[in-house]
Amino acid sequence: MNREEIAELAAGYALGALDPDDRARFDALLASGDAEATAALRNFEGAVAGIARETIQAPPPAVKAALMARIDAQGRSLEAVERTLASVRPSPSGRSAWTLVLSGAMAAGIAAIAVGWIVSTAYDRRVTQLAQETATLKQELDRQQSLIALLQDPATQLVALGGLEAAPGAKARMLWHPTAGGLLVTQGLPAAPEGKAYELWAIAGKNPPMPAGVFTVDAKGVGSLRVAPIRVEGSVDTFAVTLEPAGGTAAPTGAMYLAGKL
Amino acid sequence: MIARGDREAFSRFYDGFAGLAFGLIRRIVRDPAASEEVLQEVFWQIWREAARYDPRRGSPEAWVVMRAKTRAIDRLRAMRRREKTFVAPADDSLTRSTEEPAENPGVAVETRGLVRSALNALPESQRRVVELAFFEGLTQSEIAGRLGEPLGTVKTRARLGLERLKSLITREEPARP
Repeated sequence: MNREEIAELAAGYALGALDPDDRARFDALLASGDAEATAALRNFEGAVAGIARETIQAPPPAVKAALMARIDAQGRSLEAVERTLASVRPSPSGRSAWTLVLSGAMAAGIAAIAVGWIVSTAYDRRVTQLAQETATLKQELDRQQSLIALLQDPATQLVALGGLEAAPGAKARMLWHPTAGGLLVTQGLPAAPEGKAYELWAIAGKNPPMPAGVFTVDAKGVGSLRVAPIRVEGSVDTFAVTLEPAGGTAAPTGAMYLAGKL
Repeated sequence: MIARGDREAFSRFYDGFAGLAFGLIRRIVRDPAASEEVLQEVFWQIWREAARYDPRRGSPEAWVVMRAKTRAIDRLRAMRRREKTFVAPADDSLTRSTEEPAENPGVAVETRGLVRSALNALPESQRRVVELAFFEGLTQSEIAGRLGEPLGTVKTRARLGLERLKSLITREEPARP
């Protein structure tokens, strides 16, 4: 039998359209383990399954329920029969037919997984990149939204901070809310030296200054700092900025660059 | 002995392939209630005859497709015998089945589009052979008789049609997420 004849039999077999004598011939080929016949059949199976996949449709759940109930009922009656027979024959053992069926299904699945893995690796990289971009945008959005909320709140005050001797040209604006904290934006501060950073202080009356956060400025001297709510006795009435070690300190130690009162 | 594990395995197997079988049965049988009966019969038979499954004769997917198709065709023939008045010409029924997407609301649209376009991409002569075999359940010699073509021609068209379908489906598949 030549290659073309085998391919024709395999196509007819895959379509379920072989006449009985042809079917018997191809069955014999398969049973003999003919590699060409098996390969040809596998090849056409993909096409036939593709035709079936055209119409995939979820069946009503009731069908499965009825089927499983039927199986359970059969299982119960078989178990009864088996109990009766247990004394006269040994229990069947070994791999069940379903292990075999599922292993075939899994083999088909493994090929799909291999292709899927290659595609998904590329997707993974893109997804990770997009996730990072999303996180950055979300952070920015949160910042903007909290700023808008701060601006809309009637209790929010605008505090002007002026430059002192260390930087007379510097200035800053502080949006301050007594319970929600605030936002500081500075201009004209010189870049902090290596190992140093600017620290904001919040002062309430005669109490010692409370550290309110550390920030640096960009090349244009612009800096910003989101200030968390500060819990103090009384209410904050003064803000000041000093130059401190980069990690910040508990009490001011360096020169004061900016100061302003509510 | 019906082990508990077998029941679970079968349940998963059903979940994996019932949609494939049911869509095909619906397309052949049309009637929803009859299709559900056929589906249950197909899987009941699969459950009982799993031991006869021979991996050399095809993948589990092909096994399910073939059983679903065979049972559906059996039911279709029985229904036609009962309803003597129902004498739809094969070609009409095929045309109708491809032009009524609303009949299969649960169809996976992307895949259906892919294969339909693949089937439509076949030369008419090959497409008719494939469809008469697959959806009407005719054997190759019956198809030859229906079309008035030599048997050898029908066999060749079946092979060429499936080869072309296979290449169309394979080429499209990697693009699907």
